[in-house]
Amino acid sequence: GPANLPGYVRDWGVSSRIYANRLRAEGMGSHEQAVKFSNQDYEALKQECLGSGSLFEDPLFPAEPPSLGFKELAPYSAKTRDVEWMRPSELAGDPQFIVGGATRTDICQGALGDCWLLAAIGSLTLNERLLHRVVPHGQSFQDDYAGIFHFQFWQYGDWIDVVIDDRLPVKDGELMFVHSAEGNEFWSALLEKAYAKLNGSYEALSGGSTTEGFEDFTGGVSEMYELRKAPRDLYRIIRKALDRGSLLGCSIDVNCTTLITSAFDMEAVTFKKLVKGHAYSVTGLKEVNYRGRMERLIRIRNPWGQVEWTGAWSDSSSEWDQIDQSEREDLNCQMEDGEFWMSFSEFLRQFSRLEICNLTPDALCEDSLSHWNTMKFYGTWRKGSTAGGCRNNPNTFWINPQYKITLLEEDDDPEDEEMACSFLVALMQKDRRRYRRQGQDMHTIGFALYEVMRLSKCALEEEFLLNHSSCARSETFINLREVSTRLRLPPGEYLVVPSTFDAGQEADFVLRVFTEKQSETEFHCSLQVSVYGSSQLLVPQSSLLTTYCITDKDLITDGFSIESCRTMVNLMDKDGSARLGMVEFQILWNKIRKWLTIFRQYDIDKSGAMSSYEMRMAVEGAGFKLNNKLNQILVARYAENEMIDFDNFICCLVKLEAMFNSSTVGGHDEQLIGLNFTLFLALTSFS
Amino acid sequence: MFVPSEPPPPRRPVAYAEQHESDEEKQFRKVFQQLAGEDMEVSPTELMNILNRIISKHGDLKTDGFTIENCRSMVAVMDSDSTGKLGFHEFKHLWNNVKRWQAVYKSHDADGSGVIGADELPGAFTAAGFPLDSQLFNMIIRRYSDENGNMDFDNYIGCLVRLDAMCRAFKTLDKDNNGTIKVNVQEWLQLTMYS
Repeated sequence: GPANLPGYVRDWGVSSRIYANRLRAEGMGSHEQAVKFSNQDYEALKQECLGSGSLFEDPLFPAEPPSLGFKELAPYSAKTRDVEWMRPSELAGDPQFIVGGATRTDICQGALGDCWLLAAIGSLTLNERLLHRVVPHGQSFQDDYAGIFHFQFWQYGDWIDVVIDDRLPVKDGELMFVHSAEGNEFWSALLEKAYAKLNGSYEALSGGSTTEGFEDFTGGVSEMYELRKAPRDLYRIIRKALDRGSLLGCSIDVNCTTLITSAFDMEAVTFKKLVKGHAYSVTGLKEVNYRGRMERLIRIRNPWGQVEWTGAWSDSSSEWDQIDQSEREDLNCQMEDGEFWMSFSEFLRQFSRLEICNLTPDALCEDSLSHWNTMKFYGTWRKGSTAGGCRNNPNTFWINPQYKITLLEEDDDPEDEEMACSFLVALMQKDRRRYRRQGQDMHTIGFALYEVMRLSKCALEEEFLLNHSSCARSETFINLREVSTRLRLPPGEYLVVPSTFDAGQEADFVLRVFTEKQSETEFHCSLQVSVYGSSQLLVPQSSLLTTYCITDKDLITDGFSIESCRTMVNLMDKDGSARLGMVEFQILWNKIRKWLTIFRQYDIDKSGAMSSYEMRMAVEGAGFKLNNKLNQILVARYAENEMIDFDNFICCLVKLEAMFNSSTVGGHDEQLIGLNFTLFLALTSFS
Repeated sequence: MFVPSEPPPPRRPVAYAEQHESDEEKQFRKVFQQLAGEDMEVSPTELMNILNRIISKHGDLKTDGFTIENCRSMVAVMDSDSTGKLGFHEFKHLWNNVKRWQAVYKSHDADGSGVIGADELPGAFTAAGFPLDSQLFNMIIRRYSDENGNMDFDNYIGCLVRLDAMCRAFKTLDKDNNGTIKVNVQEWLQLTMYS
């Protein structure tokens, strides 16, 4: 299929993926070693422009209609008519990158339904250190200006450096999209352009959730709570999140998924001056002694820097008179600064949702902050091999990728009597926004967790999964980019099974597991490639080319093709005669008979061919325990309409056995096979 | 040592690609859309039909037709994410190579037999970008030629596609360019089973 690889890999086939994994293991994609989007190097391009005295024009995101959109913003549509692309110097007399620090008022929404993105940028401006990971320092319209800027985003596990030119879409003399309240400040409009380039077009950004923005700017993991059905320990969760330096946002729902032309449509102010559809930040928690009992308070900030809550516990409310004076002075700031207190119970009533973006350790600078332990896994669902669908698909559910986590230590929380480990599982589907112009959208995804018996060492299989119920699962299966759920389970071993709702839906995903305490994770059975049973190939010498056919009626086969036979002969023949003699043929024949027995044994539905999951069991029955990736590959290579017929089954096993044996030819060095060019070609190109 | 075909260019945003295509590329994209059907990806069966339709128009190329097995193998070595299909760019790359290698095939079929004989083979493969040593040439003949040492067109293309992919794979994995690569058993099985 089309390469869906990071930009630094320029090749096709399996090797490119192996190479990408190796680079990643060496640190490529970390914030310090961001991946260059489409291999564009900011410094080099800038120097080139400075040298030639020209302004950068980005060939990969050109100042042309298709960069705007494909549907409502399609070329020649009403909304894009008369759009011009202009550089900031053509729009303002004295353009600036950032004026007086990046602030909330720098982000005024334009003709695009990306309020979710802007709310996230707004929250980001509250944390300068995090902001400047996204908006690198040292960019300006004055020093070494060459019309080129760059920004860094987190995408599915990698940090990506995106270069843009500063030509911005303008209609009727004004910026079409995000602009700053100060007419001459451009960082926010350029940031939006870079994010649009990353996603293919401006229109691709229309509609989303703030959490997507949070995550793409921090690499963190988001949780979302509907406050109407908040968990009983939400107060504790918020306190811990604040201790960890997480970004917390809250809001009152209104819909904002369509193109919106004015901020007025989405922001309506309630009776007590709370703004609907607006992203607030949560900045503090406190318990105070109020009329002889402990009252829980929460501090919230309106990023506008004004318009504050006017109800109980607001800046000048009477509740403050009832508490100890020193405490009052400590807490209550009566300035109109956008920040205010309210009672925790009122908060749950007034607001509709809370979003917490937990930062990963690399985003935190203060060592004192306790942080989550994070683990990250890249996986794929492929039709017929690993796209098993949810539990409603009993035949295929178990073929989904499985990941084992071991929870070792329970939380040390004095308030909590329950012996449990807190952790967060986040499953993210990759790249779906980019495919939107092809009419595709998010899959419905979710996950389930199973407790692993202490003695069980192997991947959970059909029987187990059908006979046991899950011990935890994602709250729902949902068609969002990411589904994340906070869980509490006793210490032990668990298996996470991520899946799409329906079977057969293909996508790539990233699974992240965040634990408060020490834990271990592994891609289940991923490191085992073992052969049991006798599998040593004997290679006698003789000369007689033989072909044969199987006539049993219970087998589906289109007969062994000459191509298949060539492969088998080559694999069995090491003397270079290109023929098999009696003895070799007998060896092959015995193998085929052995594998025929296995074929029949695992052809459970007696269809005469292996379904992909029968195949998986049959291969294991033949002595090969393969990981998911290899199971996927066997299906992609040998299945026709998701079924593997008998001749393909035999070819596959002949090759698998031969390749497993050949893995010892090049000499081992700590489980690595060393190969020179000739040997590599000889082994790979002629089988 | 060897000259595998150029690695793919950096992937460009679709919007850009479609805007800046030459007329020939536009034509090619149209044809691709017809061939690949709704999913815009080419399966081994679709590839087989395309190739066989093309060669039926070239009487001077001797072939018994591309087999499904050959096409599966060609798709596998080009496929990066194990979907078992080729996207537009992969298919275009394959297509350009087939065109180039077809010209080589014709010009090296010195006796006009329609096949590449054992004596013509080193010249043809060298011209196609693979100046291998005689040991490897002998292996190629054993694996891809008939009992008389003649290689027909479908075997020739199947062989070159795999050879090209494996040369690029080696180059990709030989990061320090020292002529050897190291892979673990996992990687090895992935490389070899998907070819």
